Amino acid sequence: MASEKSKNQLAGDDKPIKINKWDNAALKNGLDDAAKNVLTKNYGFVENHSLMDGRLVICTIAVAFAMFALVLDFFRPFPESRPVLIVCVTAYFVLMGVLTFYTTYKERGIFLVALEKDRAGMDPDNTWTLSSSLRKYDDMYELCMTYSDGKTGETRKAELCKSVANFFDENGVLCADLFNPEIEKMKESLTSEKKLN
Amino acid sequence: MSGMLSFEFLDDVRRMNKRQLYYQVLNFGMIVSSALMIWKGLMVMTGSESPIVVVLSGSMEPAFHRGDLLFLTNYRQEPIRVGEIVVFKVEGRDIPIVHRVLKVHEKDDGSVKFLTKGDNNSVDDRGLYAPGQLWLDKKDVVGRARGFVPYVGIVTILMNDYPKFKYAILVCLGIFVLVHRE
Repeated sequence: MASEKSKNQLAGDDKPIKINKWDNAALKNGLDDAAKNVLTKNYGFVENHSLMDGRLVICTIAVAFAMFALVLDFFRPFPESRPVLIVCVTAYFVLMGVLTFYTTYKERGIFLVALEKDRAGMDPDNTWTLSSSLRKYDDMYELCMTYSDGKTGETRKAELCKSVANFFDENGVLCADLFNPEIEKMKESLTSEKKLN
Repeated sequence: MSGMLSFEFLDDVRRMNKRQLYYQVLNFGMIVSSALMIWKGLMVMTGSESPIVVVLSGSMEPAFHRGDLLFLTNYRQEPIRVGEIVVFKVEGRDIPIVHRVLKVHEKDDGSVKFLTKGDNNSVDDRGLYAPGQLWLDKKDVVGRARGFVPYVGIVTILMNDYPKFKYAILVCLGIFVLVHRE
């Protein structure tokens, strides 16, 4: 954990994010990474990787099936390898279907699940999730922050919908001083609601 | 300045963590695997070890020209008949040949011998077979032509004629997929 943190610092995280501003995917990734940094670095929440790991496992198994089919077909040429090929091909396409379902219904654009550790270490952790979307040929970046209380189990949401032009300068450098406060504001709004209750 | 420009496209990659990097590699693997699995799926469905071939010579003109794409099937239960166009392999030759069946001999036990000839050739194929071979067998058949798309395969022929061009394109596409984050 500690080594991972120091490595990130070595990678030069204080260097501003610069992207190609005409590339929509790069814009979204840049903003996502910055939002993720605010929660994990500034607030010290611990990232939970299980959602991403699920996708990695599905992809790895699918590619393993394909590679197995390739190797088998090399050593035992076609008519002999037919039954195994049928299994591999079916498994591969089923897994691709599973992957599509996983990304559309389970991940739903969530790029960060972070746990806020309870200070006393007694209560269950609070969970923060971030999901975003940026449609192709559209400049409106939609960010959704969800907070779920570990103790009471209640969930609250805050949303942000702003043009990406608000956060990038002409050269495609992400202005952290404009973007980070937005995230902090969302975070504080969710936390203060908790205090009111 | 130029040094900076040439490495700026790597900034996206530099921000990735271990999982994201691994996913980039998997993404590349999945593109390759999808193509591979579609090909193997076609093999299983058609029963042919090479369900799509490109005509490389003009020996079947005017039926097929150089660069035509052929779709093959090789179902066991369908008998080979005179007049059909078969794709077959000859021992000692890497490239399969597309020619028409000229004569067929069938026995009661199901074994078949047949002779082929290119429509545009003046003699039959005995000169093309392995030395001493007079007839083709069922095991020599790669498939029978079921459909074709004219001239599309010329891309494949060009790629094979200029291998450097082919590898350059493949390497560029590969790097793009690995570096570009979706």
